[in-house]
Order: sequence, then C-alpha cells, then structure tokens
Amino acid sequence: MYTLGIVGPDASAAADRFVAALDGRIAVIRHLVEDGDGPRFGQTRANGDGSRIGGAGTVETDARPDGSSRARAATTYDIGDGWDAAGEADLTLDDTLDRLASDHDYAVAIGFPDARVPQVALGGVEVPDPLATATDAAALDIEAAIDALHDRPERKTLESLVASVKASPRADRSGAIATFTGRVRARDAEDDAPTEYLEFEMYDGVAQRTMRTIASELEERDGVLEVAMHHRQGVIPDGEDIVFVVVLAGHREEAFETVRDGINRLKDEVPIFKKEVTAEETFWVHEAERDDG
Amino acid sequence: MKWKLFANLAETAGTKQVEVAVDGEATFRDAVDALMETHPELREEVLDEKGDIREHIRVLRNESNPFVADDGFDTVLEEGDTLALFPPVSGG
Repeated sequence: MYTLGIVGPDASAAADRFVAALDGRIAVIRHLVEDGDGPRFGQTRANGDGSRIGGAGTVETDARPDGSSRARAATTYDIGDGWDAAGEADLTLDDTLDRLASDHDYAVAIGFPDARVPQVALGGVEVPDPLATATDAAALDIEAAIDALHDRPERKTLESLVASVKASPRADRSGAIATFTGRVRARDAEDDAPTEYLEFEMYDGVAQRTMRTIASELEERDGVLEVAMHHRQGVIPDGEDIVFVVVLAGHREEAFETVRDGINRLKDEVPIFKKEVTAEETFWVHEAERDDG
Repeated sequence: MKWKLFANLAETAGTKQVEVAVDGEATFRDAVDALMETHPELREEVLDEKGDIREHIRVLRNESNPFVADDGFDTVLEEGDTLALFPPVSGG
C-alpha cells in the first residue's frame, strides 16, 4: 500500500483530486482536532463542507491528537460495504495504516505533518523531503505527484505479506506458511547500553531488485510456491519491526528451510546499511563487527 | 560518469554522489583514480597499500560487480555508467 500525506490549508481539496486520480482501493484518514466548537477535521473547515471522501470499498478513519504528538483515531470507521465499528479511541495513525495495508492500494492521510509518510505540502507548510509542493490544491500537478509516490517505498506489514502470498494462484497446493520477522532489539545482554533506534540506508532500486531475485530463485525450489520479502527504510525505533520474509509452501519442511535461507541471503546480499544509535553512541554496524572480528 | 557512495563512505566524502570526468575509452581503474583525486579522504578506507580495492569494500558497475561480470580494473566504461562503492551490507 502506498501512503500519501497531505498538509496545508487546502489539503482536503487536494485529497479529493488524488482519490479521483488513483486506481485501486483507497483509504482516507483525516486528522480530527478538538476546539471550542467540538470535534472537527483539522484542515477541512476553512474550505469545505466536511463531507466524506470516497465511495464503495473505501475505509475512512478519523484521527485526532492525544495531547502528545501521536495521532489517535476517532471512534468511527465508515466502510463502504456497510461494516461499522466504534470505540477505538486509542488507535494511532501508524496502527491505522498497518491495519489498512493488507487490503488497500493507497492510504491518504490528511493533516498529519509529523507522520513519517511521503507528504504533499500546500500553502507553504514545511515538511522534510516533500513529494510535491503547491500553493493550493488546484495548482498541484497530481500526475507528477503520483509518479513520485510510486518511487517511494510501500507500506507493508507481516499481515499484508501473508495476505499477498495467500492470494497466489498456486495457493491450492499450499499446506504451510512460514514467516520471519526481524525487529529492533533494545539490548543483547543485561548491561548493554539500550538501542534507541536503527537507521537503514538502502541502495534504492538495486536493493529491491536483489530481493526480487532472491525470492524468484527460492521459488524455483520444489514445493515452494511464493516468497515475499520486505525491508523497511529510514529510522526504526526500538521494538519495531524491520524486515519480513514470508514463504508459501506445500509442506512445513520446505517452508522452514526457505524462510531461513531467505533471511540469510537478504542479510548477505542486499545493499542495505545499518546505523545503530544507543543511549551512549552512534555507529555503523558493519564497522563495529569488523572491529570485533 | 557517476559514482554513488553509501553509509560511512558517503559520510567520509561528505556526499552520496560524485560526478567524475574521464576520457572516452576510460577504464574502471581510471574512474577509481578520478574518484580518489576528487575525494582523497576516501583512499584509506577504500584502497589497500597496493592500490587494490580492500577486500570488504564492494563495487558495482550498473548493478553488477565488474570484477565478476567484466574485466575488473581493465573494464572499459561507457558514457552514462553508474558506479557504486559501499561497505559490507548489514540489513535485517
């Protein structure tokens, strides 16, 4: 799922243009703020009627800040096929996006300037590394922004990868799914300085192609039906997931063997570089390993 | 000719991308020399005493290793080639 943020006074109108131009299942998440007049959508009142965006098959999630910088979802989801749930006041934007990733092609998050997603910035609002900037929604080059979005990493989760392999045309031959999840470990021993975050740099394009090559080679094995891999980029805090390998196979033995070989090959071959930041120091992990060796 | 640098090599050079000018018929060795002229601070980390690429440093020419796919330092480059230099990978 591609995730697109839009910030600025005209964000809601820009979202309408994106929703109209994108193909596939789209979720729209709007930032809800509380003020003296009760809850309202963060950046929609100035220019719009607050009407909902989307149609059949789209999910809308209204989110609001919780007093810190984290976003919290409001209590209602509206889903086009009639399902409706309430009472999820503690859902963050990240939680919401993870939940949407399994069955949506795009998520559009309106009014979350601090979110770690590719952002379109309107009316002079400043965000790091924007996809596109414009004075207002009408001035935005939507096609160019969509092309730029497609060059950014997709949001994937273990669940979205499992869903993708289950959708394989060969799934009727599958009796097993094995998965590997790599996470940010805070400490390796009791007296370690705790790791605060890891930062991953990737040789963009080459890294993704190398992962696809490894997956296709593993899929040539007898009884291995689908292999999916995903590695996140940028800053990943302690406790979060880094990498997933998912194998759809005929039987458990080839599933276990292939998931192990998949993560081992990814770690050996894919051009990704890890910087570690602990409470005490910052270092490139390959340099620390060379010093140890 | 474009060099891409990664991780600590990019930090040492202060940039992730370096354009170097080389003549027609230039070899991979010429491109390495041109990079070291522009960014001499990389030499210690990238080359050993004999001027070879250090064992742990990886190089790519258009996404494949010129020491495996081509003729190593003697590989004749083409205009528009992208060369990459990086330390041991550490994903996952």
